[in-house]
Amino acid sequence: MSASIEIAGVSKIYDGGVRAVDTVAMDIRQGEFFSLLGPSGCGKTTTLRMIAGFETPSAGAIRVDGADITHVPAHKRDMGMVFQNYALFPHRTVAENVAFGLRMRGLDKATIAAKVKAALAMVELSGLEERRPAQLSGGQQQRVALARAIVIAPRVLLCDEPLGALDKKLRQQMQFELKQLQKKLGLTLVFVTHDQEEALAMSDRIAVMNGGRVEQVGTPAEIYNQPMTRFVADFIGDTNIFRGERIAPSTGEAALDVGKGLILALPPSADMPGIGVLSVALRPERIRLSPRGEAADGAPGVTAHGVVENTNFLGGAVLYRIVLEGGHRVLVQQSNAGTDHLFVPGNGVTLDWTPADLVVLKD
Amino acid sequence: MTKALGSSRLSRRRFLTASASLGIGTIAAPYVARADDPTLRITGWGGKWGEIMKAEIGPAFENEFKCKLQIDSAFPYLPKLQASSRSAPIYDVMHTNSNEQWAAAEMGLVEPKIDPKLVPNLADVYPYAISDKIVGVSIFTSAIGLGMRTDKGYGSVSSWKELWDAKYNGVRGGYVIPVNSLGQAFLMMCGTLFGKGQLDLDAAYTALEKLKPIKIVDFTGAMEKMLLSGEVGLCVIHDSGIYRYDGQNQPTDFVAPSEGVLSLEQVLTITPGSKMKELANAYVNYMLRPDVQKRLAETVWYSPANRKVKLDAKYDAKLLTTPEKVSKLIQVDWKWYNERKDEIDQRVNRIFRA
Amino acid sequence: MGPSHSPSLVSDQEAALRLATAPMRAIAGRRCYGRYLYLAVNISILTFLLAPIAVVVVFALNPTPFIQFPPVGVSLRWFEKFFASRDFMHALGFSLEIALLTTVSATMLGASAALALARGNLPGTRLIVATMLSPLMLPAILTGLALFQTYVLLDVGRPTWGLVAGHTLVTLPYVVRTTLAVLHNFDTRLEEAAQNLGASPLRTFFEVTLPLIKPGVLAGAIFAFIVSFDQFPVSLFLVSPGNETLPVTLFNYLKFDLDGTIGAASVVSIVLAFLVVVGLDRTVGLRSYVKL
Repeated sequence: MSASIEIAGVSKIYDGGVRAVDTVAMDIRQGEFFSLLGPSGCGKTTTLRMIAGFETPSAGAIRVDGADITHVPAHKRDMGMVFQNYALFPHRTVAENVAFGLRMRGLDKATIAAKVKAALAMVELSGLEERRPAQLSGGQQQRVALARAIVIAPRVLLCDEPLGALDKKLRQQMQFELKQLQKKLGLTLVFVTHDQEEALAMSDRIAVMNGGRVEQVGTPAEIYNQPMTRFVADFIGDTNIFRGERIAPSTGEAALDVGKGLILALPPSADMPGIGVLSVALRPERIRLSPRGEAADGAPGVTAHGVVENTNFLGGAVLYRIVLEGGHRVLVQQSNAGTDHLFVPGNGVTLDWTPADLVVLKD
Repeated sequence: MTKALGSSRLSRRRFLTASASLGIGTIAAPYVARADDPTLRITGWGGKWGEIMKAEIGPAFENEFKCKLQIDSAFPYLPKLQASSRSAPIYDVMHTNSNEQWAAAEMGLVEPKIDPKLVPNLADVYPYAISDKIVGVSIFTSAIGLGMRTDKGYGSVSSWKELWDAKYNGVRGGYVIPVNSLGQAFLMMCGTLFGKGQLDLDAAYTALEKLKPIKIVDFTGAMEKMLLSGEVGLCVIHDSGIYRYDGQNQPTDFVAPSEGVLSLEQVLTITPGSKMKELANAYVNYMLRPDVQKRLAETVWYSPANRKVKLDAKYDAKLLTTPEKVSKLIQVDWKWYNERKDEIDQRVNRIFRA
Repeated sequence: MGPSHSPSLVSDQEAALRLATAPMRAIAGRRCYGRYLYLAVNISILTFLLAPIAVVVVFALNPTPFIQFPPVGVSLRWFEKFFASRDFMHALGFSLEIALLTTVSATMLGASAALALARGNLPGTRLIVATMLSPLMLPAILTGLALFQTYVLLDVGRPTWGLVAGHTLVTLPYVVRTTLAVLHNFDTRLEEAAQNLGASPLRTFFEVTLPLIKPGVLAGAIFAFIVSFDQFPVSLFLVSPGNETLPVTLFNYLKFDLDGTIGAASVVSIVLAFLVVVGLDRTVGLRSYVKL
């Protein structure tokens, strides 16, 4: 029932030469929750619209279950879509909205009525059949849009920032429900969002896009833990990015001189690029923090000293901004181990980390 | 309807046909023109005139001359004629007031004279109808004089000058001169009354200035209603505008002032580019025929131009039907007036706006 | 399109209720003299707008052949005269016929043009819109004269279709305007949603686009009908002898007979226009236009 999608070297160039989407390639597996994540203007929505058939690629092909649908008109693609502002038909009732796709498929009235009833029950909107969209709250409208899209049992469900207009609490609830529904129905779901937390929370896999290109495709853990590019590292979560010259000290271990007296030991890695300038990322929670003086002076490249400049209390954790002795500013996140163990601005601290936690980035 | 056209020129059969068709009158069109009939395109008034033209006079002409008469009674005629091609004008015969005919003649849109050889009835008209103040031929005229209320105790009126009497302040009626022929004719009369003659515009302007306060209207019909309602007591008006209420016991009367009445001529002209010249001349001749003249004159209270018309006593008593009565008519030099119309309009607008 | 105002699912209904009642409470709470002034100004404007209609009605019902205050009685003689007059009845029928033909042609042309302009991605759209709206700027009498001259040049005479064409020309801007206005606020994603759900472009037009732009198109159609029915300057030159519209007939009548028949004709016109608007409201639902 659900299908896989192959996007093969697709580009979209608008009049005037703007490359909205630039040779994008990705495979979306059957039954997968796949997110297109990126800042506005990164090409994620255009990509989705090409999958839906609202835009025609300037180059490349889109295949569904191996069949080329690049030039199949939107109304013959058999895909469901939930629009950013739901795009419910204002002149029709809730039931009529949900029944629309079934009517277009020429089903008989009894079947339509039964399916509409079931779909509305699934999104917990039974009893609102005769309302008009304008009489519903945002959350209810969202559910109608969802019901309208899934009632036709689409091969693929496309969602264009469907939760963007909801407030935070409702949004979290809907994230959970949508994910559950997707799993229950085994839907292949392509989800466009600019919200990295949302993408990380819901997706099986994520494609991070920037400037019309795909920066990285991977599971949330891969995207978070092994960002491949500086953009991905920076866009997903908080991170410390260092850029410097690769050096080979006498010990033989490779290290990075990021200036201001700070040397970072590089992880042992087979495909390490040669001598030259490179960037590395170090997540704040991968750095350990101890009061200055307590810890023994560690090996160079895995420790540094500094002073707490700022604290950001997150509840379960605390985010510190540390000024290192050389002047670098570093974010460090520590779990909240009790009030007695918290640092305050002005405390002298020692940082240490494991070289394996450093991720080498492509620029 | 019973006063059908009893002309000697109508054959008896045609007369009967005409009477019969008049019997069913306004319900069905009396003569159904065939597609190949020639069409004569003319202009004509609405109101009572239009009714009788449509019901009797027109169909009888169509019958007699085996043609179709297309009467345009939607104003304005002159701009429409002007807009159409000179070689294929929109009208064959234009019927309108004298001032507009002069304007048309100046632009070469109508022929200045009617040929007496082609219109035999021209021989029977009063001199004013084909005078040098007339383009084409005047088939009827009204007399412009004073209209008054007889129930207000104003006393008898005999002179134009009584319009200036202070007792008519507030109930004096006149016209928007730029758009109304009666107003224009009256302006010329003012020159005669207070100056060296018709062409003494300065004297006329001074006189108009002294007429204030005065109620002015653009349509003559509006003046009739104001007189009937008593809103005005003494006003400039044409005789037909008073006489048409004859028999209704209205407390109004027409006064032909001793200085003379102005003529308001109904003029026919033929367009030079007409493809129906023969029919056009026949139409002019037809309209001058005594029977037609009598029928129309008694319907709308116009004085016929044909000397040979004998009206019923009631009409004969009031309309200009004898050489003596006709001699009281003063004709306006419209050619002269039209040449100065812009200047006059500006001046009178200033007078009445102040 | 969709308001996103509810804080949570549980209180959705409550929130909706609160939203619905809020403006009412706000108005009720604002009791001050400004309100009475506002009412007074509005009542005076309404009075000013409706006074001519009242005068016309009095004129039409007054038995005397001239306007008289106070009226001396009530009589239907002018209505009788109006309805008994073959000329007036013919003119009324002809005017209705022209107005209906004009409404149909102006609405179809205007709505299609507006759709093409809003969606077609045509070059020079602004210029085309300006051209289409230009009859509004031009004095209608010039439009009439220009068309008349054109017909004379083309030697087609003054046919009924020519009159309809003239009326269409001056009513088209209204339909284009009102349709463009609804299209301007039209969310094209609604059409995409329909296509996504399997509706062909044609089906999408009839299922989604047309119902949603209907208020604008209808408003334009009503304008077209009324403007055509009342049209005088354009008709003045384009009517052919024997086929005059009601306004032209009234004008010509006015020059010779200024009596209550004019008033009766005006009352009939007003009632007819009113009936058309109410009729459209009842049948196709004008009320949704209020939302615009």
